[in-house]
Formats: sequence, structure tokens, C-alpha cells
Amino acid sequence: MSKIVLYMSMSLDGFITGPDDGMDHGLGVGGERLHAWLSPGGVDPRSHRPADGPSATVFNEAMATGAVITGRRTFDFAGGWAGDHHDGVPIFVLTHAAPDAPAPGHARYVTDGIESCVAQAKEAAAGRDILLHGAATAQECLRAGLLDEMELQLMPVLLGQGRRLFDNLPPDHIELELLRAMDAPGVQHLRYSVRSAG
Amino acid sequence: MALIRLYMTMSLDGYVAGPHDNADAPLGVNGFRLFNWLDRRNDAGPSGQVYGEALATRALISGRRTYELANRWQGDHHDGVPIFVLTHDVPDDPPPGSVRYVTDVHDCAAQARTAAGDGDVMVHGAGAAQALLRAGELDELELHVVPVLLGQGRRLFDNLPAQHIDLDLIRRLTTPDTEEPAKQVAHLRYRVRKPATAT
Repeated sequence: MSKIVLYMSMSLDGFITGPDDGMDHGLGVGGERLHAWLSPGGVDPRSHRPADGPSATVFNEAMATGAVITGRRTFDFAGGWAGDHHDGVPIFVLTHAAPDAPAPGHARYVTDGIESCVAQAKEAAAGRDILLHGAATAQECLRAGLLDEMELQLMPVLLGQGRRLFDNLPPDHIELELLRAMDAPGVQHLRYSVRSAG
Repeated sequence: MALIRLYMTMSLDGYVAGPHDNADAPLGVNGFRLFNWLDRRNDAGPSGQVYGEALATRALISGRRTYELANRWQGDHHDGVPIFVLTHDVPDDPPPGSVRYVTDVHDCAAQARTAAGDGDVMVHGAGAAQALLRAGELDELELHVVPVLLGQGRRLFDNLPAQHIDLDLIRRLTTPDTEEPAKQVAHLRYRVRKPATAT
């Protein structure tokens, strides 16, 4: 059974971008700090593979997923990964209104909601896990009770301001369980399962 | 010199209290969920160790809000150690027990360090933590990260400027896999990196 797994790099104070993120500055002012655990690379996500250790383990797990779900904002800021996130797996881009231009490469736009998006991704992933990217989409999944796990790269820094990963959620507790914690130089990898909503 | 170390329990989404915290409900709606791990405070294991370390501190800095919501600890937080309450407006009535009021954050930090002697200083409260962070006076953070999303409430890290504060993770103590889910917690200790020019 495919699991929906959120992969995000977050500062200790909960931010996944610096302030003023936009098309020319996807991670916001100073937000590159959040990706310091990755190797420098280009548009192809695979070019950012860390050399070794727990960071490489987590990276390889992400790249072994069988489908990608992402929000429109994250997708556009990343240049749509030129249509291929990794190994040509299908990319489902959740959006309210699809642009006129067709989605590039292996991407497709999903406009009929998060449930449909998750169902399509699970069918496409053929038993492999699904990589989820983006704060807004993560929040939608959490509100809908559709998120299975979170793999967070907790960065030892306070950004102070920016876009928060956990925001716009109702005051209902969502219980988690820490499945795995791995400390690496400059980053801590925390894997949680979502046990219950509300 | 004594280290000034924040001790706070925080949900993974960054809250230290549920919504609508006030004098009648100091932890906010359902905020008590955060403190289940304290059921293990007197046991062997990571939570007992961290709790013991907290009670070995020799001075306390608290924000005014936390101080009032805790009913002023009736003048004694633990072992009668000096309590420095950071506040904009000093109350008219005399402070109880070992409490004294301080209005300047640097003065507060200096007094607490001196009072702690060979021990360390515990900081309590989001407001005091933010003030000390902004002033460059916080040395370490011991966060008890609870595996729950509260969704709403009072955030620990808020009202900070868009200036990065770099940290180093210096210790992680997690409850064993056999711990029941409601009492699981990850105790993360960070050291605050100080710019070379900090005073």
C-alpha cells in the first residue's frame, strides 16, 4: 500500500522559506539556508544528492518514491523540475485552475481536489510510496486526513520570518509518532507517522 | 559563567499552549496534551534526566505572562532559587518569596548569571525567550518536542526579526520505542551560535 510521505526542510522555528518568497526567489530571502543539507546542483533534483550518511539515506528514499504530489506554488517555483522530478515518475500538481499550456514532461495538473489527487497518485505509484512537497498541499492533506508520514529535515537555525510549514490548521490535535530520528552534521532527520486526526 | 538555557515544551508545529490561553486556562484549550511527558519526570530515562537537570538550575528567568499564569509560583519555583521576572511594568505590590522584577533584558541576564553562580539559569516562557534571543543573551535551548500538531495556540518562536540565528544540536534524548505514544517526547538541546561581535 502506497503511503503519502511529506518531505520538507524546516527551520527549528517552523519555516520552509525565508520572507518574500516569489517566482525569482522560491526559498525567499535567505531561505537557501534550509537546503544546506543538500549538495549544490541544478534544476534536476537528483543533482543535489548528499555525499553519504543519513542525509544520503533520506535522499535516496525520496528518490525511490513512485509518484510526486506537489502544490502549484512549489511546482512553479521549482521550474516544474523541467517535467521530470526523478526517474520519470508521474508528478501530480494540485491547483485550482490549470494553465492553458500543457504540463511539462511527466507532470499533470489536478483540479478536482486533494482526494482525487491522492487517489490518482496511489494508483500511479503501484505500491511505492508517494513524495509530497509543499506547505499548502501538506496542510490540505493533513486537514483531509490523507497524510501518512512526514520526513522532516530539521535545520538548526531560526529564520525568524518566512512561510511556515504548519499553518492554517484547525485547533484539532493530530497525534504523531516519531518513527525514526537520525542526526547528521547540520541537519536532523525526523520521520513521523500520522496516527490520528482530530 | 552560568549558561542561560530555555526549557520549553513545544508541539512539532511550534506551540507552547493551545488557543485562548488565559488565567483560567493557562495552557489554552487542550494545551495540557503537551505535558503528558512529565508523568515520567521522576522515572529513570530521558525525561527524568532532563527534568532533574532543570531542577538543578540555580536561577530562573521568566516572562511576566508566564509568571502570572503560574500564579507567581507563590514565590518559589524550585529550591528557593532567585526568580527574575522580566516585565515592562513593575507591579506595585512587593514581589513574593525569591522574586525580583527586572525591566531591562541585559540587566536581567546579568543578574541571573551572577545569582546562578556555578549553576545554570533556567528560562521559562515564550515572551522571555524571544526577548533574550533578540538581545543575544540566550545560550542554549532545551526543547521538549512532543509528537503532536496542536494546530493553533501560542507559538514559541514568534515576533523575531528576519535575521538568522544559527544553532548547533548538542544533544538529543528520545523516549524509548516502548514508551506509550502519549508520553513520547524528543528532548533536543541546541547551543546558540554567537556572532563574533556579540557582547
